[in-house]
Amino acid sequence: MERLPLHGIRVLDLSKVWAGPYGTRLLADMGAEVIKVEAARAWDMIRSLSLLPGETERPYNRAAFFNHYNRNKYGCAIDFSKPQGRDLALRLVAISDVVVENYRSDVLAGLGLTYEAMREVNPDIILVSMPSHGLSGPEAHYVAYGTNIEQLAGLPSVSGYPDGPPHKSATSYGDPMAGATAAAATIAALLYRRNTGLGQHVEVAQWEAFLPLVGEFLVEHSMTGQEPPRRGDRHSSMAPHGVYLCQGDDSWVAIAVGADDEFAALCHVLGRPELAQDDRFEDVVSRHRHQDELNEIVSTWTQEHSHRDAAKQLQAAGVAASPVLRLPELPEDPHLTERGFFEEVTHREAGTWLIDRPAWRFDLTPAHTRLPAPCFAEHNDFVLRGLLGLSDEEMVELEREGVVSSEPVPGQDE
Amino acid sequence: MPDEGLLSELTILDLSEGTAGPFATKLFADYGARVIKVERPGRGDPARRVGPFPDTPHPEAGALFLYLNTSKEGVTLDYSTATGRRILLELIEHADALIESATPGELDAIGLGVEALHQRNPRLIVTSVSAFGQSGPYAKWRASDIVAFAAGGQMSITGDPDREPLMTAGHQAFYQAGLHAFGATLAGLFSVGVIEIGQHIDINAMECQAATIELYLGDYLYRKSDILSHRRGNSASAMIGIYPCADGHIGVHVMPRNFPAFARLMDAESMIDDERFRDARARLMNNDEVLATIYAWAAGTTRDEAYRRSGELRCSAAPIYSIGEVLQQPHLRARESIRELDDPRAGRLSYPGPPFRTAEGGWSLRPAPSLGEHNEAVYGELLGLSRCDLVRLRSAGVI
Repeated sequence: MERLPLHGIRVLDLSKVWAGPYGTRLLADMGAEVIKVEAARAWDMIRSLSLLPGETERPYNRAAFFNHYNRNKYGCAIDFSKPQGRDLALRLVAISDVVVENYRSDVLAGLGLTYEAMREVNPDIILVSMPSHGLSGPEAHYVAYGTNIEQLAGLPSVSGYPDGPPHKSATSYGDPMAGATAAAATIAALLYRRNTGLGQHVEVAQWEAFLPLVGEFLVEHSMTGQEPPRRGDRHSSMAPHGVYLCQGDDSWVAIAVGADDEFAALCHVLGRPELAQDDRFEDVVSRHRHQDELNEIVSTWTQEHSHRDAAKQLQAAGVAASPVLRLPELPEDPHLTERGFFEEVTHREAGTWLIDRPAWRFDLTPAHTRLPAPCFAEHNDFVLRGLLGLSDEEMVELEREGVVSSEPVPGQDE
Repeated sequence: MPDEGLLSELTILDLSEGTAGPFATKLFADYGARVIKVERPGRGDPARRVGPFPDTPHPEAGALFLYLNTSKEGVTLDYSTATGRRILLELIEHADALIESATPGELDAIGLGVEALHQRNPRLIVTSVSAFGQSGPYAKWRASDIVAFAAGGQMSITGDPDREPLMTAGHQAFYQAGLHAFGATLAGLFSVGVIEIGQHIDINAMECQAATIELYLGDYLYRKSDILSHRRGNSASAMIGIYPCADGHIGVHVMPRNFPAFARLMDAESMIDDERFRDARARLMNNDEVLATIYAWAAGTTRDEAYRRSGELRCSAAPIYSIGEVLQQPHLRARESIRELDDPRAGRLSYPGPPFRTAEGGWSLRPAPSLGEHNEAVYGELLGLSRCDLVRLRSAGVI
């Protein structure tokens, strides 16, 4: 096998929770050596969410969210707020290619870890900062998390049932999108550095990184002067278009029909070929006008089928359709299974479970989980002795001073 | 000017249509890569015909297309013909990456499969962007925005518990694929400099969505609990939700560390020391009481007041802005996060600015190309074809 794309790139990962760690995980999946730094009193609070049930000695090593977003990374615990800790941080900067952080805009400066300080020890370092509102501007000091980001960008205002209020997306959508943007920005900066020799400070303001996801609406509004309506599952021109109830528990199939031949194919599958000749449904305009009637007809048929069977029949006839897959249905989905999308991972304290493989699928350098997520401080030795060459005496001293830790202090950052 | 772009060393051949692939190549083009968008003569990218359109009807100038194809050069080429195929293979010699979104197998069938492309240019990165991926039982399924969103698992958890699953607006399934295709292609290009050989990258909306909802999917995979596998409407828990206020809606995303600030924001400081709300678990146990406090507070405040005070208190509440309001935000205006561009067909339009900012190597916008606008420039400059050659190709229907 060829070497992974980012083999030989070292990333110092100061990011926490979701947005930053999702980005650095993409880099780690691609072969970068990502070193995640926490501290005894500033550990990644996502270690406290989605825990395995039952009493356990180190619950923070058994958190689903943390153990997914931090696979393929190394973990160590250094307190940067202490002078010796800051010194260690700069020594790590000196041997890294990239630093990623998602603190509020003023935090890194407060620790004395500015881009200028990093540049002094490593002139071609790439620093990627991910503050929610950016490093400048009247609201630079504001705080916003993933769902706030989409709210500020207007996405809920155009999402929602046509008769209902603005609606949030299901997840903290701004987080993974900021992370994916930061990962791309990092690799772009690495390419630029390879061509020019120049490192730089890259700013991924999460609010701005989200604007491309509503860009079509910004352009539309500037063209028409109108607010785009909330359409729910309906479409501006296609009909039938939506989700239809099927047999089973909360089972639905999504169907989208545009052109006349697709509608004829749908009618055939429904066993109602005469509908294709019906005046009410003869073209895309009349179908859109009579979509309520159409939806009832389609729904009558789908309720006699499972969502998988309905989608299969419709696709075989050339109609765009898919089961609305529930999360428990994904790991058993035949398509994802055949593609080998899920693989087993074994973590030394959290056991064995299925994890999704990297969605960046390369044919020569396929990526997978090489390393489970780190237990708290698991790689202190690898990082401090191995990479920085600290002696036994120095390690003991740093641990005694509380600069380097092997256990988190509970409750500090929850 | 192109020399100043972050990615101006790169040339990308873009055969993709619709949303996902063009979104990826737009990101390349705005950062200065030379993106050559190849469209079928006469027909063009179907996104050109997605409305709304400017006042003066223009069949090539749908808003979606104008958004997704900024800064690209546009050529026409029917590469299903022998001549067209030969021209495409010549263009490939000048390209670092090719991005395509055809039905899997379609390019193979006309002699333009990955092997044929690599024979011509072994260092080429080929990125296929699709709804379902290049292999597996759904590979050739027809897709649309709602279908791709349904397959990725996101739709099943979006919407109200007692209603049908809800599609989030826009083309979110395909934007997720496009954004990941941008990053993955960059990683591929980076690796070419090391391993000296190109490769094929398969990016699809279904797997990208499974990754981006992983917090929820991961919880099921790991704990075998389906507690996060249900629709939860506008309030995942009291601490993360959208609530009606005096003049619209407010969004709240309060992490445990923000709770004291949030209690102050609501003028409910007594909650801070109240045993019922002492930590995240306690607040979840008393979710209804927290919700009641939030509803009462929100009803008596405006979006602007809540947002301004939230900023002062370092809390995390935000207004639900309309699209028109996003365009006018003082913070975004001060940072030039929204850019205006004069489009020759549609007049002055507003676009998102750079998704990330670089100190070295820039970002800029140029209007999306008309169909075949850069035929002369691209075919002349890269392949040395003369105007007479182009006339012949045009009359043969190749360009």
